[in-house]
Amino acid sequence: MFTDLSMVVFTVFAQMSVGAFIVLGAVQVYARVQGGRSAEDVDRVTDPALYAVGVTLALGLIASIFHLGTPMNAINVLRHVDSSWLSREIAFGLAFAGLGFVFAATQYFKWGSAALRQALAALTALVGVGLVVSMSMIYASLDAVPAWSTWVTPAQFAITTLLLGSLAVGAAFMGTVMWRRRQAADEEAEEPTTDAGDLETISTSLKGIAVASIVLLGAAFVVIPLHLNELSQGGAAAVASAEVFSGAMFALRLALVFLGAGLLGFFVYRFAARMESNPQPLAVVATVAFGLVFVGEFIGRSLFYESMTRIGM
Amino acid sequence: MATQLGFYFDQTRCNGCKACQVACKDKHDLPVGVTWRRVAEHGGGSWQSDGDTFSPSVFATYMSTACNHCERPVCAEVCPTTAMHQRDDGVVAVDDDLCVGCRYCEWACPYSAPQYNAELGSMTKCDLCTDYREEGLEPACVAGCPSRALDWGPIDELRERYGDVDAIEPLPDPAITEPRLVITPHRDAQMTGSGTGTIKNPLEV
Amino acid sequence: MTAISDHPTSSDASPGGISRRSFLKWSAVAGGGVALVSGTRQLGLLPGAGLSASAQEEASGVETIWSSCNVNCGSRCPLRMQVADGRVVRVLPDNTGDDALGSQQVRACVRGLSYRQRLYSPDRIKTPMRRVGERGSGDWEEISWEEAYDEIADSMKRIIEEYGNEALYLNYGTGTLGGTITSSWPPISTPFSRLFSLAGGYLNHYADYSTAQIQGAVQYHYGGWIGSNSLDDAKNANLVVMFGNNPFETRMSGGGEIYVSQQTREQAKVKTIIIDPRYSDTAMGLGDEWVALRPGTDSALVAGMAHVMITEDLVDQEFLDRCCQGYDDEHLPDGVPAGSSYKAYILGDGPDGEAKTPEWAAPITGVPAGTITRLAREIATTKPVLINQGWGPQRHVNGENQARAIFTLCALTGNVGIPGGGTGEREGSYGLPLANPFVIDNPVEASIPVFAWTDAVEKGPEMTATNAGVRGVDRLEVPIKFILNYASNALVNQHGDINRTIELLKDDSKCEMIVNVENRMTVSARYADIVLPDTTNAEQMDLASQGSAGNMGYAILASQVIEPLYDCRTVYEMCTELAKRLDIEEEFTEGRTQEEWIRHILDASREDIPDLPSFEDFKEMGIWREPNPPEVGYVPLQDFREDPEEHPLPTPSGRIEIFSSELWEMAETWELPEGQRITALPEHLSMQESAEVARSDDTYPLQCIAHHVKQRTHSTYGHIPWLEEAHPHVAWIHPWDAEERGIANDEKMYVFNDRGRIRVSARVTNRIAPGTVSVPHGAWYEPDEQGVDVGGSPNTLTSWLQSPIHKGNAQHTMLVQVERA
Ligand code: SF4
Repeated sequence: MFTDLSMVVFTVFAQMSVGAFIVLGAVQVYARVQGGRSAEDVDRVTDPALYAVGVTLALGLIASIFHLGTPMNAINVLRHVDSSWLSREIAFGLAFAGLGFVFAATQYFKWGSAALRQALAALTALVGVGLVVSMSMIYASLDAVPAWSTWVTPAQFAITTLLLGSLAVGAAFMGTVMWRRRQAADEEAEEPTTDAGDLETISTSLKGIAVASIVLLGAAFVVIPLHLNELSQGGAAAVASAEVFSGAMFALRLALVFLGAGLLGFFVYRFAARMESNPQPLAVVATVAFGLVFVGEFIGRSLFYESMTRIGM
Repeated sequence: MATQLGFYFDQTRCNGCKACQVACKDKHDLPVGVTWRRVAEHGGGSWQSDGDTFSPSVFATYMSTACNHCERPVCAEVCPTTAMHQRDDGVVAVDDDLCVGCRYCEWACPYSAPQYNAELGSMTKCDLCTDYREEGLEPACVAGCPSRALDWGPIDELRERYGDVDAIEPLPDPAITEPRLVITPHRDAQMTGSGTGTIKNPLEV
Repeated sequence: MTAISDHPTSSDASPGGISRRSFLKWSAVAGGGVALVSGTRQLGLLPGAGLSASAQEEASGVETIWSSCNVNCGSRCPLRMQVADGRVVRVLPDNTGDDALGSQQVRACVRGLSYRQRLYSPDRIKTPMRRVGERGSGDWEEISWEEAYDEIADSMKRIIEEYGNEALYLNYGTGTLGGTITSSWPPISTPFSRLFSLAGGYLNHYADYSTAQIQGAVQYHYGGWIGSNSLDDAKNANLVVMFGNNPFETRMSGGGEIYVSQQTREQAKVKTIIIDPRYSDTAMGLGDEWVALRPGTDSALVAGMAHVMITEDLVDQEFLDRCCQGYDDEHLPDGVPAGSSYKAYILGDGPDGEAKTPEWAAPITGVPAGTITRLAREIATTKPVLINQGWGPQRHVNGENQARAIFTLCALTGNVGIPGGGTGEREGSYGLPLANPFVIDNPVEASIPVFAWTDAVEKGPEMTATNAGVRGVDRLEVPIKFILNYASNALVNQHGDINRTIELLKDDSKCEMIVNVENRMTVSARYADIVLPDTTNAEQMDLASQGSAGNMGYAILASQVIEPLYDCRTVYEMCTELAKRLDIEEEFTEGRTQEEWIRHILDASREDIPDLPSFEDFKEMGIWREPNPPEVGYVPLQDFREDPEEHPLPTPSGRIEIFSSELWEMAETWELPEGQRITALPEHLSMQESAEVARSDDTYPLQCIAHHVKQRTHSTYGHIPWLEEAHPHVAWIHPWDAEERGIANDEKMYVFNDRGRIRVSARVTNRIAPGTVSVPHGAWYEPDEQGVDVGGSPNTLTSWLQSPIHKGNAQHTMLVQVERA
């Protein structure tokens, strides 16, 4: 268990970053188009989460270094972009990080026009998608590993990306709300902590996130049995891989994700309506939901690496 | 294209002694856990019993494998650094100066040819004893096989001499890498994909 | 030059009159003792490592020197050791000779190729040591060589004075074998034998742990050791039948019997049937059919087949009448009652009144009656059939009869003494008749069976000719008081019932002094009073005789490769120093150094082998070959078969004694333990812990044997990291037996009986007969705090049980239970 810890941390964090970035984009678009709010208003809601994405991605990239036997040679990993999905992954990863950084900077300093920043964000998101795709292709392209070389790998990576991204954004929003309230209480600031419009945006977002996570959960629970079925039809290596997805750890992972994304998603949806009066329960639920899914996905990714049984000898 | 080199394995002669494995280890100073040539035992079958008597109908074979210096070296394809590369003579080798030790090639190769050496922090593998060949000597495993079950040479010549079987259990589907390997199968050998046995010594391969 | 040589038989065990010189031509025996143990393992770093290939090219300092692998595997390989800066950096196989039989390249097996890790093993004993705690406590003090020599010489003198020379014993050991000076076996040819003989002699032993029962069997059946047709003679056969013979795992040299049998099969493609409880690698690589049977029931299988052959009139009556005693009642010696013949035994006309039909044999052996009938017909109607046996079938309590039954099958089918046939013994092979003037006679006549030394320590004077097989004297006068254990692990690890043996040795009022000469800290060395660090053969020069290699003779001149490591010394030097203290130095050395002895031996050998190269040339070429001269046959007993009157066997009747007159007499006169019998005929005997007992024993329902494995030669080469990695210690168990006990492949299990308990990994495999487990021979005993042997030595489970005739080690006869660990 957790033998490939650095890889688990890297992939989960990087995917979460991409997912969160995309969800933040969705919030932006939705709040402005449907909610009719200004870019500035929405930025107030999303910016803190955006900075957290940057930190998460940085942690993931740092973790990936620990996977290398000779980190001094790390620069060489970009040499084979024309053939190696791993080179491509790193290229996309660096591009995503770079663009994300630039975008965050423009947001912070409010450089350039909103439209320009929007375009930059869209480009960054696109590169993020490229990162997740290349990341999944690293595994999906390995004919030697039946548990990986299947459509299930990109599907699962996509689910992880969006699920963790959504719930992370939800938790970040509520974290921001609570933090600002505490700030306000401490300093008795006259400014309202979070204005009603923001709260409206957040509650709408949370409802969306809850719905999305339940849908993604449903998708996950469709993909897993299909994967197991595929493995059971395969050769000895595939069957051996499938054993990894049968133990207590696997059950725990399913339970955690189910609880986090399903049950809590349900409560998030319910509490979102009552957020204005008392945001605390919602903050707790959103955080716990994220935490449970995060742990569940973390275990799931560890099992994913453990399922590496090659054909041949 | 220059001559492409490969290995030959006469399975009918192999008694699973692993002299090839240890000859390789001595030649390349490989520590325990880094094993460029390995031998699997593949077997199966069943027994019948009738009262106090029993009759076997079982089978077992050995398979000695190192790097097959494949036509399509997936290890080199996936290598992000180009450290894993194929030379003009078809030999697949690691360039230590480039290798980052990410172990991606290890995942990719269904013959377990690239092996990670933790002490060095990089991948290592069979290079068909390049230095020996330059001196006109046989690779260590070939020279060390007590039963003369191994041979090496230009793959065209090996195929001409020994045929073109390269897909015997527990080896993978050769379409994945197109190995430069020729096998004379044991009478109990089963074609890849239609095997009924399992690897009996999984911890040794 | 004499014919094919085979297994050596010690002079007192061979009524056939095989001369000492001819037995010295033989080289290696498998079986019993050997060396080594230790808790420490080598981790990661390779001694001598670090010389990359390119560095090697650059370094002009790399030198390649011929050495050899001198262990008891039955083969013998030259090793080319590459040395840089005084360290061995590579060990290369032979690169001379070719692929043709008779001049084949003698490529070392997996063990020889790992020699570097053995040479630089962290278990090497580095300096002389004396025990300070109780025996086996593991507490030692380092002492000087002078102190060690003085103490050993004083102890020898005192014990000779107090008890006489019969109290001195050279224990059986084969850890250094094949050399001429550095030789731990046969006992008479070790330098310690020379030393002790000059000091008045020592208690002899006869036979060895490998072949004790079959040596007894040949003595009464054929009159002495003759071997069977060599394996390359299979080309003249139309069928090959091998009982428990496994050259693919026990003769692994690339110049040895695996190569001979492989090549012969490829050329002649003769159908081969392997009869064995295991689907051995020989069954896989050489066999066309595997007949699986329960251990120790080969004699019943033969009886069942004999019934078919006799009732269907398929026996070679002419051969039996002319060349054999006791096949039928008409050919029994005078004074023996009718119904005592083999035919009567088989047909149920003998005293037991039971016909040995295939239906009788089936439940005993596990082989279906139909298979027995089919085999019998095939073997009897094919001519000629090459029949031989390995040494597993005989390593049982009923081992003499097991071996004799297989000999008898050859007589029934008339295959003895013809090309493509066989005597039923193990294959013979050609050997160079090297002389050995270094060897002298032992003036003490008394001799004990090799496995009975623990009895002789415990109760020597109770042992007589008829109750313990003592030879040379009627009764031992004194117990063993002094043991010199040279390159031997048979003091503990390779002897039966390790726990009981340790109890015996712990009492130092019984055996008062144990000296162990060894290069690694073996299980046996742990129980010594004084340990002397021996050099390996890489650290000294010797002339090595060949291994079993079909039709090829060869010898190896192994040079000194490196200086002795640590404070190790050669046995020749040790013996010289002890001789000095016993005032026999001049007699011992005859003024020669070790190298001068080797030159002397080469010169003496030139009488019989005129083409032997000069010392200097030989040193350069390392290995020198001479194929079997055409006039020397490799088909034993051809002349006897042609004219038994003119060329009688050294048996009382001069014939093959299917009915042995001597055994007939011994059956009356010998005192045997409860439950044991001696029979004049090769009857199938079910005695202690047999296959038949197993099936009615609820406590210990499984038979346990100990097959020989590639990781070690007996216990030599134990704990060598590369070898442990390549061939981990796993005990074989049938899927049915494993499933019943909830054991999966590679899981740990306990194997145990009243004598001990081991913990070992399971190889769940259908390559072994149901009801039988096999714990590979030679694993190093390693008790944990609870006394469980986590090293997994089968001898934790074996007993001191001896066979009735030759008092051989019945180490494949044991019953056990298995449970999940
Ligand atoms: S153990 Fe025997 S076969 Fe192996 S190298 Fe040594 S002598 Fe040769």
